Amino acid sequence: MEDVKGIEHFESAVHAFEQKTPAFYLNRIFFGRPARIILLLLFILAILLPIFYIAMTSLKEPIEIRTSGALLPRGQITTINWVKAFANVPLVRYLFNSTVVAVISTILVLLVAVPTTYSIIRFKTGGWFLPAWILGTYVMPPIVVSIPIFAMVKMVNLQNTLAGLILVHMMANMPIAVWLIDSYIRSIPRELEQAAWIDGYSKWETLLRVVVPLIRPGILATGVITLILSWNEFLFALILTYGVKSNTFPIGISRYIGEHGLQFGEMSAAALAGIVPIYILVFLFSRNLVEGLTRGGVKG
Amino acid sequence: MASVELRNVWKIYGGKVQAVIDANWKCEDGEFFSILGPSGCGKSSTLRMIAGLEEISRGEILFNDQVVNQLPPSSRNVAMVFENWALYPNLTVYENIAFPLRVRKMPESEIDKKVKEAAEFLNLTSILHTGVRHLSGGEMQSVSIGRAIVRQPAVMIMDEPISHLDAGLRARMRDELKKQVERLRVTTLYITHDQVESMAMADRIAIMNLGRIQQVGTPLEIYYNPRNDFVGGFIGEPPMNFTFCELLQEEDQSFIVSPSFRLRLDDECKSQFLQYRGGSRLKLGIRPEDVRVSMQPFPNSFALETDFVEPQGDRTIISLRLHGGDILLAQVLGSLRPDIGQTVYVTFDQRHMHFFDIETGLNILYPE
Repeated sequence: MEDVKGIEHFESAVHAFEQKTPAFYLNRIFFGRPARIILLLLFILAILLPIFYIAMTSLKEPIEIRTSGALLPRGQITTINWVKAFANVPLVRYLFNSTVVAVISTILVLLVAVPTTYSIIRFKTGGWFLPAWILGTYVMPPIVVSIPIFAMVKMVNLQNTLAGLILVHMMANMPIAVWLIDSYIRSIPRELEQAAWIDGYSKWETLLRVVVPLIRPGILATGVITLILSWNEFLFALILTYGVKSNTFPIGISRYIGEHGLQFGEMSAAALAGIVPIYILVFLFSRNLVEGLTRGGVKG
Repeated sequence: MASVELRNVWKIYGGKVQAVIDANWKCEDGEFFSILGPSGCGKSSTLRMIAGLEEISRGEILFNDQVVNQLPPSSRNVAMVFENWALYPNLTVYENIAFPLRVRKMPESEIDKKVKEAAEFLNLTSILHTGVRHLSGGEMQSVSIGRAIVRQPAVMIMDEPISHLDAGLRARMRDELKKQVERLRVTTLYITHDQVESMAMADRIAIMNLGRIQQVGTPLEIYYNPRNDFVGGFIGEPPMNFTFCELLQEEDQSFIVSPSFRLRLDDECKSQFLQYRGGSRLKLGIRPEDVRVSMQPFPNSFALETDFVEPQGDRTIISLRLHGGDILLAQVLGSLRPDIGQTVYVTFDQRHMHFFDIETGLNILYPE
C-alpha cells in the first residue's frame, strides 16, 4: 500500500516537471545557471567594490575627495596622491619593515610549527595538555596579553625593533599554523614513517625527508596564511613599534592622519601599494591555499 | 640472516590491556615462520616489537642470540612489508626500491645495480620509472617486497602483505611470494589471519589467540595434532566439528557416547587412553573429512538425519542433525548425494578423532 502511494507521488512529481508547472520555473530561476552567475557577480562586487573605491579615490584631486563622495572621479585624474604618499611618509620603509617581519616570522613559525605538530600527533608530546593549550591561545583575544607581551619584549630589550615584532608575530601565528598543518600530517599513513624508520632513517630524518616533502602543499598554504596575518597585524605592531625604523605598513597607514589633517587620497594610494604585493602572493599560491583551507575544514 | 627468538615477551598497553602474553618461540635462520591468528590476537603487536616499532613491555627479543630490545628499528636490519605496502607516494618504483640503499649512503653505481637486480627478480623492470601512485595492487606489493629484499635484511617481516588484493590475484601472489622467499633464503616472519596462506607457505606456524601463543608447529603437525580446541577449530575449512561425549569402559571395551551416537573405540584408539586419568566427559573434535557417511547401515555406525546437502561437484558437504539441534558437518565424495531429511549412517575415522578437556580445552592425547 505504502509503495503504491510512493510511486504515485513520484509520478505526479515527474508529471509536474514535464508539464513545466510554476514549481518548475521557480526552480529554474533560483537554482539555474544564470541565477548562480548573478549571485557570484554580486558576491565579487561586494568584495571588490571597496578596493575599487580606494583605487578611484587615489586618483582624485584632494579637493574633489573632500567635496564629493562619488565613486568615479569627475574632474581631472591625477597621480599627485601617489607621489605625495611616497614623499610625505616613508612608505617604502614601512613596506620593507612589513616584508622583513612577515617573511622572517613566517619562516620561524614554519620551522617550529612543523616539528611541533608532528611531535604532538605522532609521539603524543605534551599529552592532552599541549594541543589544548595551543588551541586555547588561538581562542584568546590578543589584546588580553598585550601588556604582558610588551613587558616581556621590553625585558629582553627588543622594544621598537623588528626582531621583537618578529618574535611576537611568530608566537601569535603559531596556533593557527599548528592547526593547519595538523590535518596534513594526519593524512599521511603512519606505516610510511615506520617504513622509513625500518629503512634506516632517524625520526628527524623521517620528518625532513619523508613527511615534509609529502605535506609541502600544506606547508606552503600555511606559510601564505601566516604571511598575510603578519602583514596585516595591527595591534602588536602598534604597541611594540614606535618609529620609522620599525613601524610596519598597517601602522604607517595611520601616519596619513596627522599634522596635515586626514589625507584620504594619499592614504588610499598607500593602502593600495600595501595590498598589491599580498594580493599577488595569494594569487600565485591560490591553488595551494584553496587545497589547504578546504582540507583543514573537512578533516581538521 | 638471523634467527629470531622471543623469551617471555609481553606487550601491555596503558598498564592494562595485555596484547601479547608470555610469548616464547624461536624462528630458525632462513625459516619461513608464520604467525597466524584472528584479528586482535596480538600478532601485529608481536611483529611490531620485533621490528622495533613498539617497546617490549617485558621479556627479551633476540636476533642470532643477541638481545635487541634496546636497538631502534634502523639498527635491527629488518625489512618490513606492510599491509598497505607503505610506498613513498611521491617517488617512482626505482626510487622506492633504492630508498633503503640511499639511506645507507651506498655508492650510486651499486644502488643502480642492486635496484635493477631486484626489479629483474620481481618482474618490475618495465615499470621502474613509473610513479607508484599509478600502479595496481599486485605491482605495489611487488615494489614493497623489492624495497624489503634490496638490502638483504637479516629478517624480513611481512604483515598481511596480500590481504588487500582481490581473491584471484591473492592466490597467484601467494605462490609467487613463496617462490621468491625460497630463492632468497631469508628468515621470514609472515603475519596473517588467513590460515590458507599460513598452511600453504610457512615452514612452521605459531597460532595466537587472545594474546597467547596456542601452538607452534609445522602446518601438518598443527592440522593433525592440534594442541587445543581453538587450534583445531581455527585450522581447516570447513571447520572442525565439536560435540560433547562421555568415555565409557565396559568390560574390555571402550565407547564414546553421546545422545546422538554410541561408538565403540577400536584397539588403536583405545590404547591412547591407557595413560588417561582425567574425567570421563570430553569434547570431541572431528574434521568434516573424517566423518564417514553411507546410505546403508554398517558396523559401528549410527543413524543421523541430514539437515542440508551442499553438492560441490568433486565433494559434497552434508549437514547432519545431532540430538539437541547441533550440526555435524561431513565432507564426502561428490558421488554421494543424500536427500535433505534422509537418514544416513555415520561413523568417525578413529585415527583422526581429537579429544579436548572440557575445562581447559587442551587436547588430552597431545604428545608433549
